[in-house]
Amino acid sequence: MSMSRTALLAGVLSLFLLPCSKAAAPAVRSEPLHVRIDRLIGIDQDFARYDAGLASDSEFLRRVHIDLAGYIPTSAQIRAFLADSAPDKRRRVIEQLLNSPEYARNMAQVFDVLLMERRPSRHVPQADWHEFLRQAFLNNRPWDEVVREILSGDGTDPKKRHRIKFFLERDSDPHLVSRDISRLLLGMNLQCAQCHDHPRIEDYRQEHYYGLFAFVSRMTAVQDKNKKLLLLSEKADGETTYQSVFDPKKITKTAVPRVPFGPALVEPLVDKAKLYVIAPAADVAAVPTFSRLARLAGAITQRDYLPFRRNLANRLWAHLMGRGLFEPFDNDHSANPPSHPEVLDLLAQELADNGFNIRAILRELALTKTYQRSSIPRPGTDAKQAPLYAIAVVKPLSPEQLAWSVMQATGLLESYRKAYGGKDPEGEAYRRLAPSAALFINAFANPPGQPQTFEPRTDQALLLANHPSLRSWLAPGSTLATRLNSLPLPTRVEELYLSVLGRLPDEEERKEATEFLTRQPKDIGDLAWALLTSPEFRFNH
Amino acid sequence: MSFLAAPPTAPAIDPTKVREVSSWPHTSPLVCARFDPSGAFVFAGAQDNTIVRWTVPEGKKVVLTGHKSWVRSLAFSARDGLLFSGDYAGRLLAWPVAGDAPAPRWDITAHRGWIRALASSPDSRRLASCGNDHLVRLWHVPDGQPLRTLDGHDCHVYNVAFHPDGKWLASADLKGNVKVWDVERGECVRELDARILHKYDGVFRADIGGARGMAFDPEGKYLACCGITNVSNAFAGVGNPLVVLFDWASGKQKAQLKPRAPHQGTAWGVAIHPLGFILAAGGGNGGELWVWKPDDPLSWHTLKLAGNARDLSLHPKGRLVAIPCHDSRLRLYDLASAAR
Amino acid sequence: MHCNYACGSSDHLLSRRSFLTAAGGALGLGLLTQPSLARVLNGQQKRVLVIDLHGGVSQLETWDPKPGTNTGGPFQAIPTSVPGIHISELLPHTARQMHRMALVRSLNTAEDDHGKGAIIMNTGRRQEPGLTYPHLGSACARLLGDESNPLPGYINITPHGTGGVSVADAAFLGPRFAPVSLDDGKAPQNIDRPADLTAAAEQTRQLLRLRASERFLRRRRTAQTEAYTQTYDQAVGLMQKKHLFNTANEPEKLRDRYGRHDFGRHCLLARRLLEGGATFVKVTHTNYDTHHENFDFHLEQLGEFDLPFATLLEDLALRGLLDTTLVIVQSEFGRTPNINHLYGRDHWSRAWSVALAGCGIKGGAVVGKTNANGTAVVDREVNAGHLFHTYFKALGLDPKKNFYVEQRPIPLADPKASAITEILA
Repeated sequence: MSMSRTALLAGVLSLFLLPCSKAAAPAVRSEPLHVRIDRLIGIDQDFARYDAGLASDSEFLRRVHIDLAGYIPTSAQIRAFLADSAPDKRRRVIEQLLNSPEYARNMAQVFDVLLMERRPSRHVPQADWHEFLRQAFLNNRPWDEVVREILSGDGTDPKKRHRIKFFLERDSDPHLVSRDISRLLLGMNLQCAQCHDHPRIEDYRQEHYYGLFAFVSRMTAVQDKNKKLLLLSEKADGETTYQSVFDPKKITKTAVPRVPFGPALVEPLVDKAKLYVIAPAADVAAVPTFSRLARLAGAITQRDYLPFRRNLANRLWAHLMGRGLFEPFDNDHSANPPSHPEVLDLLAQELADNGFNIRAILRELALTKTYQRSSIPRPGTDAKQAPLYAIAVVKPLSPEQLAWSVMQATGLLESYRKAYGGKDPEGEAYRRLAPSAALFINAFANPPGQPQTFEPRTDQALLLANHPSLRSWLAPGSTLATRLNSLPLPTRVEELYLSVLGRLPDEEERKEATEFLTRQPKDIGDLAWALLTSPEFRFNH
Repeated sequence: MSFLAAPPTAPAIDPTKVREVSSWPHTSPLVCARFDPSGAFVFAGAQDNTIVRWTVPEGKKVVLTGHKSWVRSLAFSARDGLLFSGDYAGRLLAWPVAGDAPAPRWDITAHRGWIRALASSPDSRRLASCGNDHLVRLWHVPDGQPLRTLDGHDCHVYNVAFHPDGKWLASADLKGNVKVWDVERGECVRELDARILHKYDGVFRADIGGARGMAFDPEGKYLACCGITNVSNAFAGVGNPLVVLFDWASGKQKAQLKPRAPHQGTAWGVAIHPLGFILAAGGGNGGELWVWKPDDPLSWHTLKLAGNARDLSLHPKGRLVAIPCHDSRLRLYDLASAAR
Repeated sequence: MHCNYACGSSDHLLSRRSFLTAAGGALGLGLLTQPSLARVLNGQQKRVLVIDLHGGVSQLETWDPKPGTNTGGPFQAIPTSVPGIHISELLPHTARQMHRMALVRSLNTAEDDHGKGAIIMNTGRRQEPGLTYPHLGSACARLLGDESNPLPGYINITPHGTGGVSVADAAFLGPRFAPVSLDDGKAPQNIDRPADLTAAAEQTRQLLRLRASERFLRRRRTAQTEAYTQTYDQAVGLMQKKHLFNTANEPEKLRDRYGRHDFGRHCLLARRLLEGGATFVKVTHTNYDTHHENFDFHLEQLGEFDLPFATLLEDLALRGLLDTTLVIVQSEFGRTPNINHLYGRDHWSRAWSVALAGCGIKGGAVVGKTNANGTAVVDREVNAGHLFHTYFKALGLDPKKNFYVEQRPIPLADPKASAITEILA
């Protein structure tokens, strides 16, 4: 199926240049966002038939803890929640979690991985960068503000080097920076459009790639001798030109800075004598009077520019729901429409209206029935026929979620909090256990510079099976074994299942576990290991 | 910089005015070119395994057949009126430069694998060859007897050049090591560092490098090596042309010469003009000819060429530049400003 | 990947076991028992070795040279151990093994995209919406593999840091037949059973794990959850065969001949794995996507490929394994006869080559011709469908037989094609 270029262009433009004031959702505006989302998700006429209903309390609590706090709840937290009879207990838990220090830590990790893709920290210490993000989430800073800081490229303040990390860890390579901004922040992978119009995606053209590239093409990294820092030096001149490798005539085009599908940057005429605030010189980072680089972040985050908001909305949705509204995450184009376009429009609009308030978006998403739905198909129905989201998506834990959930399940997190807590139990426990967590994270993480995918490998199974660290946390005398063994048998079995799987055992499980522990009380670690390595632990369901 | 004060009838050399004056077609892409020492001919190797000779300035064409692979190396013995050509099958041929139908006089298997470069000693008594077998070899001119094998490089040797005073031979390999050999003793006396012209591409797991062009200035004060640097994608040719200029006396890099406007591609040929400026030509994302003043690492002048340049040769009289192109044409460029 | 399937078929469920029967002894779990040697001993065990020259190897610089033409480039053709057959001068050692090999020079897969080309060569078919065909490795693991074999059925030796192949390779066959990737051919870390874990305790905890997994999968089975569970079985299998990864006992001379660099080591490991009972092993050599300076880079890459590959063929033959091992040397596509302005060759699938050897293949056979300068097939044009018919027949399987996906028959090979009988022994 082919479309005329004009029609395509019109389609694309209408996709990306929706004016902000236009109401996107068909429902009553005064309804809360989560209600409007549920209505749009449930719109399929088959939905009710396949609707798996709400997840159980323990399923919900485990899920929301992992998604918002970054790891599973403790047995005590689960017991308290199960015992709570208040009708709005789910809402209160969501609120608690969103305002917890764990949330800020978790979101910092999530967005660090999203923005930096585990690139090694060669120029800006990971701790500083992570702390900046954590503070941003602790204070629920508007996300557009945060991105403007991260993309400012101004590394002159030694205490605010997070402003330049995005560039420096990518070797300040303008091609790599352009590519990653388009992939990670705009939902478009324009890489193939570097040498020619994208061979498979009609919407992505060389002009889009080079329009973005033109913002950053004048920058290089310089070890500044005056400021004694690695900084970005930017020239005041130098045009971006390009040719298509498939063009036999080799026509050269010039690109003006322009965010993809957005407006061109208006560049003032600068007096030739006053081109620089800091003039170029050996070992000096030049600062032009008019900096294209400094205007990149503003261009991307301005309210009228849709791709940034669509991408953010898609990522936040995927974080909770387990799949993007469009997938892959960097393939937003007219031939790859979202599964629920109105939902995406709604969320993208909400971000503009609520001032890029991520916490508010996550709150609304967590409150939806869509999010709280069970992942067990309705009996008697064929799950393969179910409309999307009628059954909750079973999603693998991220490497971080897995690592920290292991720490929680084995009781390490709690014991470290108690032992070193003081004023900042969350921070203290985190810092001390981070190296152990890194062992697991590295085994499950994708290589640096690549998006995270789920590719279970034998080496990961071998790690969980044979690595001495995990064995020591489950061995007789370990924190977990000691605590459990001090309990009477029935409670012991309950605590084991609550601590590891986040739920109470059913009758059959109680019976079998009791029989096993009666025969082989010393081997409770093996039973714990079995639960820890079962898919029930590995996945968020 | 001062220009030679030319006699009133001859126009002055002004590289900023360089322009194409001839464009001679062949039927196959060209890979190298050299003017002969008399300046009466220009020879070019082509992808159809031939060598093409044109008279200068008329452009009368003769095709020399005999090789069974590409010729990327050409050298001459002015004294004997001979052309030497080396091909990618390791064969070294010698031909008379003049005549209507030159036929080969030598047919030597000089190297295992590609012969990448040839260079003639200033006194025309020796010929140096180098290639993929990591060796540099010296041959007696005009009889073609092997004189020496210079063994020391550990990878493909891309280029050789004799120092104008004939005492030393410089050879440059894939990894950017430049060895300087004492010609008489056949020993390596020092090494120069052009490693900036090499990269191991970790994504495609292959090496890219080598001095694609190499030249001394007429007085032997400087050595220029050119190639590609800053490679971020070896298999797509994403990188930038570079000329590394060495100070011969100290052996240290004097300058790294780049096109003023960044260009994607490889510098394939380089020459240092008697007047002191440096010329290089290359291709990739289009062909360009660059001119540098020796004290400025950014080019003084750039001429966009009609196609990718694969080599550069400076005419012995210093006015014409020959550039063989991918589009099968040999082009001549005039460095003198147009006569009034 | 969101291929959710809540498939309750009995194939996947394990029979119920009580914890009470745990502790020592044969439990019929398969993966913890001795491998069945019957198939191996009576020579019926068939194997497959695929060498993937990744990126699109140039057929003009390998199997179908055209020296002296406007597309031939600077390299010559050399005679081989089979009179009348010439291949590129870049493969002198392989040339001496030609009597063991067959060449298909008339391949037209009409797909110049890396990903799609790989799918075509690896599944024998073009990608279709709604149906993903299994990778040859998964199909062979399923058809030739033995359930009791501790080694994973499909092993993929990948160059360092290139990651593994996707779980999706196994498609409808299920994650049991997904590949196990060995990054840089290294024995996975943590392959040793902990000293303080007895064999009995290991069995017990595996049983407990299976039990817990089974409960969960009963109601929430997806491709991902299955793939994950599978990795533990694969881990146990690998642990039992960890001695295969230790090449220290191989004679130094042989290790030299294979070569101490990556590809050489990987080929030696492949031989050991095949010898140790692996069903399907893939070795990847990267990279060949030479849009720029094709000749220099093919020189370098084939220089690395030639001797290890020739050594591997000879080694398999000397050990009596070649007759039962199908060897395939393939790529996603070939390269353009036209030499571009960067001395490069671009993607080309219209007229290219594949090399085969071993089980069921007629040594010294060449099928198919391209024209004088390689721009078109002029005789016996075939596609990946024909190749797959040929592979299965060579392995003693009937390519017209079907897999079944919920009663829907899926033929092993594309029914529109047929075997290239000219190269079958």
